[in-house]
Amino acid sequence: MNYAELQVTSNFSFLRGASHPHELVVAAQALGMTAIGIADRGSMAGAVRMHVACKQAGLRLVVGCRLDLDDGLPLLVYPTDRAAYARLSQLLSFGKSRAGKGGCSLDYADVRAASDGLIAVLVPDRPDARLGLELTRLKRDFGDRAYVALTRRFRPGERARLAAIVDRAHGARVMPVVTNDVLYHVPERRMLQDVATCIREGCAIDDAGFRRERFADRFLKPPAEMVRLFADYPQAIEASTEIAERCRFSLDDLAYQYPEEAPIPGLNAQEALERFTWEGAARRYPDGVSETVRAQLRKELDLIAQMRYAPYFLTVARIVRAARAMDILCQGRGSAANSAVCFMLDITEIDPTKSNLLFERFISTARNEPPDIDVDFEHERREEVIQWIYETYGRDRSALAATVITYRAKGAIRDVGKAMGLPQDVTAALSKQAWAWSKEGVSGEQAQSLGFDAGDRRLAMTLDLARELIGFPRHLSQHPGGFVLTREPLADLVPVEPAAMENRQVVEWDKDDLDALKIMKVDVLGLGMLGCLRRAFTMLEDVHGWELAVATIPPEDKDTYRMICRADTVGVFQIESRAQMSMLPRLRPKEFYDLVIEVAIVRPGPIQGNMVHPYLKRRQDPKLVTYPKPELEAVLKKTLGVPLFQEQAMRIAIECAGFTPDEADGLRRSMATFRFDGKVESYEEQFLKGMARNGYPEDFAINCFNQIKGFGSYGFPESHAASFAILVYASSWIKCHYPAIFCCAILNAQPMGFYQPAQLIRDAREHGVEVLPVDVNVSRWDSTIEGGPKRQAVRLGLRLVKGLSVHEAERLTSCRYQPYPSIEALHRRSGLKVASLEKLADANAFVGMGIDRRRALWDVRALADSVLPLFAHAARIGGANIDGGGIEIMEPPAELPVMPAGRHVVEDYAATGFSLRAHPVSFLRHRLESRGAMPFGHLADPVKARDGKRVRLGGLILVRQRPGSGEGVVFITLEDETGIANLVVWPDLFEKQRRLILAATMLGCIGRVQREGIVVHVVVEELIDLSHLLRQVAREEAAPDTVPDATPSMPKSRDLYTRDIRVTHGIKVPTRDFR
Amino acid sequence: MDVAHAQALVGDLALVPAVPESDATGLALLGDWCHRFGPIVAVDAPDGLLFDAGGLAHLYGGEDRLLEVLEARLSALGLAVRLGLADTVGAAWAWARFGPAGIIESCAQHAALASLPVAGLRIEAAIAKRLGQLGFGRIGQLYTLPRASLTRRFGPHLVTRLDQALGAVEEPVAPLTPVEDPNLCLGFAEPIATPEDLTRAIHHLCAGLCRMLAEHGLGARRLLLVCHRVDGVNGRIGIGTVRANRDAGHLARLLLERLDTIDPGFGIEAMRLIATRTDLQAPEQLGTLHANHSDGGDGGGDAELDMLVDRLIGRLGAAHVYRMQPVESDWPEHAMHRVAPMAETYAAALPVLPRPVRLLAYPEPVETTALMPDHPPAQFIWHGIRHKVVHADGPERLTPEWWRGGKDRAERDYFQVEDESGRRFWLFRQDRAWFLHGFFA
Repeated sequence: MNYAELQVTSNFSFLRGASHPHELVVAAQALGMTAIGIADRGSMAGAVRMHVACKQAGLRLVVGCRLDLDDGLPLLVYPTDRAAYARLSQLLSFGKSRAGKGGCSLDYADVRAASDGLIAVLVPDRPDARLGLELTRLKRDFGDRAYVALTRRFRPGERARLAAIVDRAHGARVMPVVTNDVLYHVPERRMLQDVATCIREGCAIDDAGFRRERFADRFLKPPAEMVRLFADYPQAIEASTEIAERCRFSLDDLAYQYPEEAPIPGLNAQEALERFTWEGAARRYPDGVSETVRAQLRKELDLIAQMRYAPYFLTVARIVRAARAMDILCQGRGSAANSAVCFMLDITEIDPTKSNLLFERFISTARNEPPDIDVDFEHERREEVIQWIYETYGRDRSALAATVITYRAKGAIRDVGKAMGLPQDVTAALSKQAWAWSKEGVSGEQAQSLGFDAGDRRLAMTLDLARELIGFPRHLSQHPGGFVLTREPLADLVPVEPAAMENRQVVEWDKDDLDALKIMKVDVLGLGMLGCLRRAFTMLEDVHGWELAVATIPPEDKDTYRMICRADTVGVFQIESRAQMSMLPRLRPKEFYDLVIEVAIVRPGPIQGNMVHPYLKRRQDPKLVTYPKPELEAVLKKTLGVPLFQEQAMRIAIECAGFTPDEADGLRRSMATFRFDGKVESYEEQFLKGMARNGYPEDFAINCFNQIKGFGSYGFPESHAASFAILVYASSWIKCHYPAIFCCAILNAQPMGFYQPAQLIRDAREHGVEVLPVDVNVSRWDSTIEGGPKRQAVRLGLRLVKGLSVHEAERLTSCRYQPYPSIEALHRRSGLKVASLEKLADANAFVGMGIDRRRALWDVRALADSVLPLFAHAARIGGANIDGGGIEIMEPPAELPVMPAGRHVVEDYAATGFSLRAHPVSFLRHRLESRGAMPFGHLADPVKARDGKRVRLGGLILVRQRPGSGEGVVFITLEDETGIANLVVWPDLFEKQRRLILAATMLGCIGRVQREGIVVHVVVEELIDLSHLLRQVAREEAAPDTVPDATPSMPKSRDLYTRDIRVTHGIKVPTRDFR
Repeated sequence: MDVAHAQALVGDLALVPAVPESDATGLALLGDWCHRFGPIVAVDAPDGLLFDAGGLAHLYGGEDRLLEVLEARLSALGLAVRLGLADTVGAAWAWARFGPAGIIESCAQHAALASLPVAGLRIEAAIAKRLGQLGFGRIGQLYTLPRASLTRRFGPHLVTRLDQALGAVEEPVAPLTPVEDPNLCLGFAEPIATPEDLTRAIHHLCAGLCRMLAEHGLGARRLLLVCHRVDGVNGRIGIGTVRANRDAGHLARLLLERLDTIDPGFGIEAMRLIATRTDLQAPEQLGTLHANHSDGGDGGGDAELDMLVDRLIGRLGAAHVYRMQPVESDWPEHAMHRVAPMAETYAAALPVLPRPVRLLAYPEPVETTALMPDHPPAQFIWHGIRHKVVHADGPERLTPEWWRGGKDRAERDYFQVEDESGRRFWLFRQDRAWFLHGFFA
């Protein structure tokens, strides 16, 4: 006799089930079951993972779910066919829309309306009269598809209880079926289940009481044991397999759901795609399409026809066309750039025939997964594209994919610690030890190093349980831009729930789930740089009348590459970070492909795989270029024999370690997800053995494998790097030739990139750009270009005034038909709030009227938001002159002290985050000099700062950075009025002076110069806190405590909790601290 | 600064959550403590106390001596204090916080405050900041500004504060009223020593104290009786009640139960009865009290139970009088909790599980014959006597509460069994061993 466990709750019933779907399936298979039924609570979120795992294990999955009804006993429902599944999915969508985010609220009447083809299993509690009524009702509506669950609870009086249930069931002619109400796959998970309950209920385990699951044995049991436990009810055991047999529905039935695309009447999708492609080819190659291109296109189109992907390509092309029609910049990236068809359809800008890429990585017959094209749109206009998609494809046929938010090390420690009743400071200290992405959690030794007793039982349990909880799904969120598009109503396919954002809906499945079911999705992503470029192009047209686009920028411009080689790339896409900048002078890019390499090389993959230095050496000395195997020359030639791209690493796995293409891809994926647990090690073994068999040195093999590991989580295929390199070149070209326009565009596209407005403005001024201050009579919301084609200046926009809303700025500019003669006049004419006027006064925006900051503040303070009625009346009758009318309150003039220059700078920083006056450090130069500190400008001079020289420096902290790959090395960037200095702090020094480094706003240091070409670092020997000096800048007139702390608003840092720079009495320089 | 940032700076930072309510209570207590130096003390939340030193300085030998004494006594409490003394509250406030602290001579506040920052005027931080930005960082800079202009820009508060600090307008303070434990003292013309006299005195004291308590709407929770003997040795009796009580007869009875612990020696010349802990107690309605007595209603019954418990505790000690309360736990050893006898028990739904009327404190091993894995025993031997099982129900499978420190890590299968004589037992199997854990009625 066989038994199928139908009532299985996975951990996608969030914080209730305590086992992953694959764990449940593997355990069921090991116990000898042939089918298993999933019944998560009002959700199908775990169904696809269960489905995938079942396919691997050769089990049949009975798809279903548990419905907790508002007016009745819970029901387990299992659709018998595709139509019934659609009804169930609709039902869940309805329940979710009624309950709001996260819930599912249904009545029995709702279920009854969707009952066709559904098998329903009633979950009874007590065998009372109510049960009898519910059974009768169920029988009436579900007929022979009605069952009642028979479950052991291991409580007193169980035999009688089961007998009474069976009695009632027979009375209503409903079949009993045995279930075990499984919450976890093995008994050992019970503890984690209890903890999950506590997290869900928000209580500590000691107070959980009866909120814990009270019935024993909620794990999977062998069929034989189930038969023994229900020896009195053999038919109820058989009913379980009977249900499994009756439910023939499989999630595979849902595949191939592309929207119909018939853009050309009379042609089917494939024919239309081919026509568009050849038309595009003719446009791309006006001089005729070469034979290689022709062959490549033929090959791709055949593959697309074979896989029936034509509608997908047409859909993406349509979205891209629509965006262009709305004048929104966009560009495809990722592996799609491997496709010549995408190039012809204007989805990507990379000519793939030139770069000899592998279309197979994009679409492979073997992998049988739908293609995945990512398209970047201008960040702030992405919403328009999204709304266009909704309108075009219908809200019932398009939705965002979900993202499963899973527990990471920090969150797991925090939540488990709380559930275990550890004090908050203990959990906080522990979670700080957890490196965000680690799967290891916090070890006992780490806890011990914090001074905790590792032998403490609670603590040890907490660390163990937290480790187990890592990777558990916590809730569903929406994917930033992954769209699901279908032909049939989406809710027939997958439960849909309303998203937090209005007019958005989200499906219950994430990208991997959709991949597994081959449901089409398009990634609509936002990219700040595209918005910046579009603005720059618009300004170029306005100022110079030059209509330009990414594709038409003059290629291979020498000046641009010279600028890049100087690492003069503040604000440029991708290559502006410190690591990228220090690579540029070494790599010395001279042509476009060098930029592709530059983008890809400063990534965890090549760095962890130790590929960077060999590549640089070979670039300097071509004699060093060798190939591990002659066959690899074709693959590695472009990168001088060193694998730098994902494709190359995959290709090595295939060529050198004997992997099949599918295995190579599986290897890549196993690094990226938790889904295929435990496979990494077996791949590693296979890889290293394969390499050894083919005679490769072990260190080469290990490096290659490490590189694949790094790629796993931060994949950068060549095609992707190439797409990004286009934006790198475009932004560099504009910066090089039109620095004013570049500065203006990037200021308006904030927030984006690595630098703050202060640094961007400073950089522009160093390139000779005139920057004019914010002025209430000239500035618009955005920064603008003043002057003609010959000479331009950047007029800073009102958006740079901290705290001023767009709405208020619009009132100001829309009433400015003639310049405002006074603050009074501005106030009366525009009706701006006094609070907004104060912000403008803080930013010294009235200086154009001849009113300085202090006088403006004094005058603004005297205004009131509502005019007294008498004065308003007076203004009306006397109101011929709109600005001059009205009655002034006469008051004696007040003598305001003159604001010293240093104080002005401090106030500039407080109000706008930058100053066009002197640099704060310039006020301290004499003090720094007396301490023997050298201006940073001298560091560039190889004589004044020769290699190895000991120097003293002092400046503001711009960036503190601790890269994950840097093994604890901390990089600090300091700034003074003459330039910047890059400090390197070794880990032991960091630990010694940690507090100072993290708290100081101004630092002094003693260190040794390290020159490498034009890259200069200072290796720090000792650090000195100079924050008190900075405070002096503001303090030239008043008693020490007159300048109260501006409440520092600390932006959140990434991982390391330190990205602030705290204001010293006024000067707030936001730093960026990365780890 | 947020906690995370502070922790990044200091690795082993200890965190104590702020409890503003208890800070306020603490400040009020400290204020009360200061009454020993003078009668008028006011709380200046969140971190200050105002002390009226008028007419006190000569008692200490001058104002500077007074400050020295205050500082010494407060420091002895482990407090870091800054003291300022001036003609006005505002000036003293500013001097203590922003000045050098100490004394501003009489009528000198105008000059003394001039160089202090404007924040010393007890104004909002935002206004102080604005003044600073306008270049008016010091209080003295405000003296010459047109007051109408200041009021127009910063509201009337700023000018009022300035005037208060300089003494141009009066500033009212709301002093704390001193509190002490309700107590009553009885002195005797002749020392007393006989039990009868002592009893009468105790009754007298109790009656008087209860009248005092009733006036304040209080009831006694703890009483201390101090007997001052002629030879200077003091005898003490302390008693407690489970609920606020001001029934003089009852309180006297509780005290008298301990009377034998007092040795009158050569006689007692005075007795003091102090209610060292009191709780609020609503005034009783005389009418209903009678009604309750006559029909034996609940109200009266409660009061009588309270009194009984008070007396039991008096005789047996607090540790031996308790009440059992069910706890949300299925594990038999943990299912009941001892609580104070009159504690509010929550009327939680008791577990509906059948439980024996008597549970053994420690399960006793028994020998059984039973089929594995989960069948009830056919028979068992306990204390050498064989019981043949005729009826059984189970297993009831209980999992141990794994987060507790105990040794029990294995689950138990409980069985209710009935032997031939109709006696019913509670047995369980843990791993492979069997135990008897209780008896059913």
